[in-house]
Formats: sequence, structure tokens, C-alpha cells
Amino acid sequence: MAIEITRPGKYSLAVGTPVLPAAGTLGFGDRYKRLLDLSKLGALITNPVTLVPWNPASGARVVPLDAGFLLHTGLPNPGLKKVIRQYQNTWSRLSIPVILHLVGTSAPDMLRACARLDEVEAIAAVELGLSDDCTVADALAIIDAARSLEKPLLVRLPFFECMQLALPAADAGADALVLTAAPRGTVRDTASGRLTSGRVYGPLVKPMILRLVGRLRRQIPADVPIIGCGGIHSPQDARDYIEAGAVAVQVDAATWAQPKMLERIGRDLGGWIATRQRNALLDEWHPDMGTTEALQRRMPSEDQAESN
Amino acid sequence: MKETQAYIERIRRVNREYQRLDLAVDDSLANIQAGQALLVRRIEKDYEAEVWDPYLRELWFPVEAQARSILVVEQRARQPFLPGQLLSIIGPVGSPIRLRQKLRNILLIAHDSSPAALLFMLSPLLARDVSITLVLMGAARQYEASHLPEALELIRAEDNLGWNDMVMTLGWADQIFVLGTPGEELASFAKILRLVRSRRTVLPPRFIYGMLQRQLPCGLGACHACMVNTRQGHKLQCVDGPAFDLTTLRLE
Repeated sequence: MAIEITRPGKYSLAVGTPVLPAAGTLGFGDRYKRLLDLSKLGALITNPVTLVPWNPASGARVVPLDAGFLLHTGLPNPGLKKVIRQYQNTWSRLSIPVILHLVGTSAPDMLRACARLDEVEAIAAVELGLSDDCTVADALAIIDAARSLEKPLLVRLPFFECMQLALPAADAGADALVLTAAPRGTVRDTASGRLTSGRVYGPLVKPMILRLVGRLRRQIPADVPIIGCGGIHSPQDARDYIEAGAVAVQVDAATWAQPKMLERIGRDLGGWIATRQRNALLDEWHPDMGTTEALQRRMPSEDQAESN
Repeated sequence: MKETQAYIERIRRVNREYQRLDLAVDDSLANIQAGQALLVRRIEKDYEAEVWDPYLRELWFPVEAQARSILVVEQRARQPFLPGQLLSIIGPVGSPIRLRQKLRNILLIAHDSSPAALLFMLSPLLARDVSITLVLMGAARQYEASHLPEALELIRAEDNLGWNDMVMTLGWADQIFVLGTPGEELASFAKILRLVRSRRTVLPPRFIYGMLQRQLPCGLGACHACMVNTRQGHKLQCVDGPAFDLTTLRLE
């Protein structure tokens, strides 16, 4: 069963399972091969890529928090040209679509990057990551430039600015909105004693982004799908996003702590959505259910149907 | 690299400060080598009962391999562990350290850090009759070392600037491995490197290594949180490390 995660039209993207890894989670598709069955996911979203190489951030990168952590990497990557050269064969061999996460730096950079990306068949779609200090005007210029791409364009919005940016981004031609990038925070790093800024990950992020998904679903046009991203740590978390109006979800840091959880959520949500669309009982399927148990569960309702 | 389950088979208090845990591990970890680590998460028998605090996996360096499937790790005595505790392990993480073929004298330096990450190499090196000197500097001077092999020469530095016989130990060493202040390792490495350069003008390649012990979110090279700059480009602690030649690591 295919689930469209982008706006219907000339360039649309359908996935088998509405569960994707968030950008930055699984690398470029070659790292988690031995820990995860990638075919259980809807697509692979790559690590963030910039047109030119970026260096890693200096200083503390990981600061543990209560039930979470703060991460600041500086989005190091070898640049678009080298990433494509290094990984396009890996992507061609994957059984799922590949969505390249492109960091939205400036409109001219986007034009150059999109010209290059159009030539790469292994990339099915592009997710554009808008920076946290992006103004509406900047966002519109970047999306407008990225719209030159002849592939579906997903736009990932920054957490704090997503209410201002969502509608303009949808109007500017985003094929789907990803809500949101992990929120930025500042904490004191006990190792160095210094204040450190970075993105915050953990289960507490979910209630905030879930609310944004619910609010924005009512505000933006119905044909622009929303993909929920943030704080998903269980199949129920993912279901909550779908219930709030997301068409699919992205799982981030939970994958690092418990790699199998991503696959588990993928199996669960794939099954749950299939069941729901066939008007079956919501609890009819769960990821650990064997064939025998599934048959046993089905039998009473069949008996009941026959007696009716 | 696999995700496997293990359990704590035995807990031994080795001195006032430290305890050692015998982990019954999967066969895939039987060939773990010095420098490689485990990413460990305590789990419950019921897989559904996920607890997300602590969130990230802990980085554990084995200190000893006792039998084919028993790895020993060293932890602070105040950390509560129970025999039978189930663990989820991703490993082995990182690459084995590269010891010189004709190694006769090795110098290990722990600066503001427990030397645990260096201890796995002790038994194999002592079996090869390699002379080992362990220098404890800064906060590491408080480390209780009564449980370490007697054949090991242990030196507690007087301060951050050096120790007795420093000229001799640095001159004799065929290879040096350094552990730095957790979280501030590059600064520690720079300090030790200055110290060594002041005594040895020529540092050959693969002579002095710094071992990183940064907390790793993924441990597989996906998140890039552990990336460092070297003269050969960007390298990852969890894939290319944890030991890096200090003459090639960019320490600024």
C-alpha cells in the first residue's frame, strides 16, 4: 500500500511505510545496515548536506540532559559533489527511496545544488532544511530557488519559527512540510563548565511538536502533507502524530539509543495504517504478533459475522 | 558491529573506589581488541518497558577478557549494578589501537581520567614481556591502582608539568598512549604533546596517540558528533578512533 507523503502532482513521492529516519540519524545509508532492516522504513533521509564542505563544530558536542541530550555537530559534511560521488551507488542499491537533506543556505547555492541533484537518479526527493534564523523573505527566496528542482521538495521548518514560516512555505511550493527540526537550547556543560548551545533531543520534545502539528494542520492547505518529527520514542508516539494530522513521521535520536525501535515503529505504523484503512479493529495487529495469534484473533469476529 | 544482549554475571569490588563487572557477552564480541569499546544500555526483561533516562548509551572500555565470552569492565564502586542485570550492547565500537611490532617499552598516560580505557592492553603486552609504565596526572593521581598487575610501573605525577624520571621514561618509550580530561581531551592532548616535544625533538609517526572517550550518540559513524580534524581530513572517533596520532590530530 503506497502512502503519498508529498503533494499530488507531477512530482509526488509515495512510500510503503509512513516512518522515516530524520535527517542526520542514519548517515548516508551505509552505517546501520547490520542493525536495521531499512526495507521496513518508508525512505532514507540522508545526513544534512551543503553545497560546499562544512567542518565539525569545535568544543563540546554532546551534553546529557534528564531523559535526553543536547547535540551540536556543526553539520559537518564533505559537500554535495563528494557526497553524491561517494554514496550514489549505495543509494541505487537500496530498496527504499532516498531523500537527500539539503541545508538551505542561500538562493544562489540552492540553484547550483538543484541543478546537480536533478542529474542523480538515485535521489527520489529533496528535503530542504531551513535554518533557525531564517526570515520569511529568506525562506521564500530559498524555496523559490529550490523549486527549480524536478523532484519532490519537502521543507523542514525550524522549531521556533515554524508558525511564521509554514503557510508561506506551503504557498511557495513546498510539496510537504516537515515539523520540525529539533528545537535549539542552551545548557551548561558540566565537563567544561561552559554554556553550550545545540539541538535538544528526547521524549519531552514530542508534546510541543505534536501541538504544532495539530495547529498547523488546520491552517495550511489540506493538499500539503505534514510529516511529524520530534521526540518519537515508541509506536504510540508515532500514532499520536498521525492522529494529530501528520501523514508520516520521522524518528530521530531514539534510533541511536535503541536502533531496533525505528524498525519497530515502522512495522507498527505500517500495519496500523493498513488496518485502519480497511476499517478493521485498531488493535488487531501489533508488531510482535505471529500468524497464529493473528488468526486466533480474527476467528471470533468471523464466527460473529456468520451468526449474524 | 552488532546489537546484542549481555548480562552482568559477577560483580567484584577491587578497591575502595572501583568495582569490576564480568559481562557474559555474545560470541561476536569475543575478538574485541584494545581500543575498541562497547555502547551499553541497561534494559529490562520486558522490552516494552523502555526507560529513557539515562538516554544515551554509555561508552564502556573492557579492561580484560577472561574467557571467550566474558568481558570485564571497570566502573566506579558507587554506581549501582546488580548481578543478572540485562544489557543491550552495540559493539565493538571503533578500531583496534595499532601497537608497534617491535615494542619493548610503552608509556601510558592518564590525565584527569581513569586509566580504564588503557587497561585492556596490559595482559597481552605483559605476556610479550613489554615494559609498561603508567603515569597518572592531574585528577587521575587519585586513582586507586592496588588491583593492577605488579609488573606495571606506576608513577603518580607531582603536578601537571611532569614527574620524576620523566626524561628517562619519555626517552625510553617506543610508543605513548594518552587519555585526556573527558570532554576537554584536545586541550589535554596539546598539553601532553608540548611536554613530550620539550623532551624529544623528533616524534616519529605512530609514536604518540591520544585516545578519545567522548560520549557517542550513535557509535556507528552516522551522527558525526565525534568527528575530529586531522591532517588527513575529518575522522570519526567511533569508526577511525578512538586512538589518533597526536602529530596528525588538529588540537586547536
